[in-house]
Amino acid sequence: MKSQAANILAALGGVANIIDIEPCTTRLRSEVHDPALVNVPALRAAGAHGVMIAGRIVQVVMGPSVDTLATDLEELM
Amino acid sequence: MRHPVLKYVRVRDYLRSLVTHELAVGDAIPSERLLCERFGVSRMTVRQAVDALVVDGLLEREQGRGTFVAPTKLDLEVRLSSFGEEMRRRGMEPSSKVLATEEVTASPDIADALELLPGERVFYLYRVRYADGEPMAIEQTWVPSRLAPSFFAAGAPDSVYGELRSRGLEPDWGEDTVAATEVDPEDAGLLGLRPGRAVLRLTRRTFAGEIACAYSRSSYRADRYMLWVPLRAPKRTLIPRAAPDGNGQPAGAEPRNGQAGDGQAGDVAQTEAGSPATRVLP
Repeated sequence: MKSQAANILAALGGVANIIDIEPCTTRLRSEVHDPALVNVPALRAAGAHGVMIAGRIVQVVMGPSVDTLATDLEELM
Repeated sequence: MRHPVLKYVRVRDYLRSLVTHELAVGDAIPSERLLCERFGVSRMTVRQAVDALVVDGLLEREQGRGTFVAPTKLDLEVRLSSFGEEMRRRGMEPSSKVLATEEVTASPDIADALELLPGERVFYLYRVRYADGEPMAIEQTWVPSRLAPSFFAAGAPDSVYGELRSRGLEPDWGEDTVAATEVDPEDAGLLGLRPGRAVLRLTRRTFAGEIACAYSRSSYRADRYMLWVPLRAPKRTLIPRAAPDGNGQPAGAEPRNGQAGDGQAGDVAQTEAGSPATRVLP
């Protein structure tokens, strides 16, 4: 679902806010420039089962769909 | 080998190798006198080495009898199977003592883990888990009432996952967190542990597709369990094609395998992150 990837990027503050995204087994782990631009409710609305923010690291729990999501994200970045 | 610390390490490592490769569970280790002679060290140094392995759980001291090889620890793999399934896989017979079966209102932390609204009801199961009759773990499990009406209709289910499957919910992924702590006094009694001993505390969110279907908190005896975590190199990191600071990246995000460790320092407790440890679908 391309729209899910687009929604997640937007909720992370847009591509411009993203330093990198590391796809883990069940999570996307992203380093962002400004964590204040991260919209947690929007991430939940995009299907996240949890969001952990520590400093500039944002972890988004997605489940095994991370694999396909990573492919979609790559195209949009 | 004149340094006392090195002497102690030598004796300890010799014993460790003896325990893991030559002796069987329940065997006595060589006497202190023999070890002193063999390594040309004092009794104090030998005791220090033995103490270290007692703390590690490789050896057990029995008052007045001596020091023996302790039962081997079970490797606890972080994967999505239940205690019962894991024990059977090892040829051990699982059993439970049920301490509570209740339907309750989810507390905020439980509601959060199960993605419930405040005030929603959950089934709560509280069990001591045994393998071949020996207490191994204490497990608290919560299942949303909405997903599994009359969950306890036939009493406490032997298998929570089995009961979920029978209702068309196939647990297929989840996340564990694992922390080491001292056992609390109540759990110590249930597990037959002395107060202050270590336990591995696991919390698990279990999902069936997009549905959070179970949440559990368990304490595993650290003297009988060690954590077994399969590792794989992290997946390729994605980076924006044109970085906003002007350091243009070539099209098609470059692999940055060498930097995969970035940003991991802040969350060492995340077994999942950066490793496929909790991979549940091959």
